[in-house]
Amino acid sequence: MIRFADIPVGSGGETRCSRCHGESGEVSYRPAAEIAAEIAMVCELWDELPGPNVALTGADPFGHPDLPALVGAAVEAGCRRLCLATDAVALRSPQNAGGSLMAGVRHLRWTILGGTPGVHDVLVGTPGALDLSVEGVRSFLSIASEETIPVSVTAVVPVCRHNVHDLPAAAGLAVDAGADRVLLRLDDGGLDLPAALPWIVAACDTGVVNGVWVEVEGVPFCLLPGYDLHLADAVRQRPGAKPPVCSECALDAVCGGAPAGASADQLATLAPPVSAERLSVSVLRARGMGER
Amino acid sequence: MATPPLRCAMLALNSPGYRSLALGYLRAYAQADRRLAGRVAFETLDLDTDVDPWWVAWRVLGLEPDVLAISVTCWNARSVYEVCRIVAAVRPECAIVLGGPEVGPAAEEVLAAHPEVGVVVRGEGELTFADLLAELAGGGKAWRVDGITLRRSGSIVATPDRALVANLDDLPSPYLTGVLIPVDGGAYLETFRGCPHRCAYCFEGKGYGRIRSFSDERIAAEIEFVATAPGVRTFSFIDPVFNLTGERLRMLASLMSPYVANGMRLHTIEVDIERIDDEAAELLRSAGVASVETGPQTIGADALEACHRPFRADRFAAGIDALRRAGISCECDLIVGLPGDDVYDFLAGLRFVLRLDPGKIQSSTLHVLPGTELWERAAELGLEFDREPSHEVIATPGVGFRDLRRAEVFASSLQSAYRARV
Ligand code: B12
Ligand code: SF4
Repeated sequence: MIRFADIPVGSGGETRCSRCHGESGEVSYRPAAEIAAEIAMVCELWDELPGPNVALTGADPFGHPDLPALVGAAVEAGCRRLCLATDAVALRSPQNAGGSLMAGVRHLRWTILGGTPGVHDVLVGTPGALDLSVEGVRSFLSIASEETIPVSVTAVVPVCRHNVHDLPAAAGLAVDAGADRVLLRLDDGGLDLPAALPWIVAACDTGVVNGVWVEVEGVPFCLLPGYDLHLADAVRQRPGAKPPVCSECALDAVCGGAPAGASADQLATLAPPVSAERLSVSVLRARGMGER
Repeated sequence: MATPPLRCAMLALNSPGYRSLALGYLRAYAQADRRLAGRVAFETLDLDTDVDPWWVAWRVLGLEPDVLAISVTCWNARSVYEVCRIVAAVRPECAIVLGGPEVGPAAEEVLAAHPEVGVVVRGEGELTFADLLAELAGGGKAWRVDGITLRRSGSIVATPDRALVANLDDLPSPYLTGVLIPVDGGAYLETFRGCPHRCAYCFEGKGYGRIRSFSDERIAAEIEFVATAPGVRTFSFIDPVFNLTGERLRMLASLMSPYVANGMRLHTIEVDIERIDDEAAELLRSAGVASVETGPQTIGADALEACHRPFRADRFAAGIDALRRAGISCECDLIVGLPGDDVYDFLAGLRFVLRLDPGKIQSSTLHVLPGTELWERAAELGLEFDREPSHEVIATPGVGFRDLRRAEVFASSLQSAYRARV
């Protein structure tokens, strides 16, 4: 519900599944002056409350030589919530963690590919990466708590066929590390969605019973009966109403939209004789995400 | 040989940082009662809710009380009942007297469920408690006291209701009498009793019906005492509506302003936001108000109607804007689980307050509180709730059990993200 403007500080080196995306490209950063000007413009034009809110994304901002100046520029421009999208490894250093907090960083978008080294480390291709990353988040949170600075950490998990079975563990790890939200973001057109759903559902439940919210991005609400609240804002809708994503679906003309809390059986009656499983194939095809 | 005084231990389990104003009033009144002079000795235990009930019982039993009087609220009731069981087992001769918003409206039910409790005081307690102590100290008949429910000859009986105190100034001030020592941030004053609204989920008005106010002189004396107490930089008022009328707000602002000039601030003052314009916001600022607390609790039309709450989105937003211009931060409260709301109404409420950027957003789950309209009508409205304190709602016709828990977690994550700002 709180909107951020994403401003890339560079490209390459993002935490993504190496099996899906291959080697991460060369890291390059944009000039600080250019980024600062963009931040200033976003803040100036920001027209809804609460805000302005800016997230520095793309290549890890901690690799940018002028990060302190960029954070300063954001605060100067009136940014209320400044977020860094990072693997958090750099935050292990108390100077980085304390420095960014003192300068005004309040949000982290912390990307992990799984909840266990067997998945995360293997997929990023760096042994020990997950432990270092968790250490970074903990260091940020512990300094924030010592200084009584309110902060918020979202663990972002790009979901693909290689990590889907590790989603509940990822939610558990995010809870352990102190995140207050988990975002499962579909990142694989070839994912067997019906087979993935039980893992997604288990991750949602793992979060809820531990008091951490799990949000799912990229799954149409007809596929997650009973879990519609977990769907990202753009998709979550009043029962019966259809979100924009439906307009891309092959069944849009015949489907009346899913009632909240509908079971798979009830869904099958929405556009008879389509079963929940065939529905998902159709949705995926319609959204250009390929067939299973 | 003179009879030793009746030893009366008074116990409250407060939110951390708070002291019980109720015990303050009760003791200040009883101490001033000539009938009790030299016949009752008081000791107050103002403890925090997180103290283990066994250690609370340890402290109570150390006082060897003849009477144990406890102030009960929904958040401390479970611990209180445990303390009662332990104390009664060790010291069966001690009379256990309960009072407060949690037990008064459900007196019979409480006595039936807790055999170790002897008496429940219903409603306003000062006069009733003093009368009861007078009877107990004289070995007299508790059933002669109005406003209580008690055990008599094996059954539970209620004595007639007690009339409300006609002139609140007749109640000695807990602060001015030295019974309560003001502490920074935890001291709070009451300038009137009752509430002009009748929201179906709320027990602030306590069924008192009409509004009774302390005199301006009494209010001025309490403000002066608390505002000049050593170490006190902030305090609060518990009045359900601080801006009850424009005239009253002006009076409070003028009483507060000399201390505000010296840096004194008021925190979490409850206001009717829809009546705040620039002039009212300015008065609040000159009264030293740093932050206020307000609704909307819900913006769902059905729930607003079921709870008898007026709500005008434009006036609400205008109130927040006026406060912002006056530099006052606002906490907007929402309740999840109200009858008539579904979970999307709750989300719409969150979105509404978020777009106003009030300063703080606080969501809580409905407590179906004894004495409220929702308590009475729960079955009719289909509200499933925990009969045991703190009476949280379990499921409603609009929101199932799992979605209620989800909504709680969602809201708490949103609150953290909102709070995290420069
Ligand atoms: C200050 C306050 C708080 C403080 C804590 C105070 C403390 N000591 O710990 C804070 C802000 C933290 C707070 C929080 C909450 N509060 Co609160 N709070 C109040 C408030 C505004 C004032 C209490 C007070 O001092 N009143 C003044 C005294 C004089 O009145 P009284 O307590 O009713 O006492 C009189 C009689 O009841 C009786 N009496 C009381 N005790 C005893 C004991 C004996 C032996 C006798 C004989 C008589 C007697 O005589 C007294 C004098 O006439 C009341 C509303 C109100 N206006 O009373 C709500 C109220 C007590 N809170 C309430 C609630 C629901 C909450 C929350 C659960 C809200 C939420 N959704 O989160 C939280 C829970 C906190 C927690 N610990 O978990 C309800 C309680 C209902 C119930 N059944 O217990 C009330 C009544 C408000 C309401 N909306 O209905 N609260
Ligand atoms: S089947 Fe298609 S149109 Fe129907 S709810 Fe799902 S995505 Fe929307």
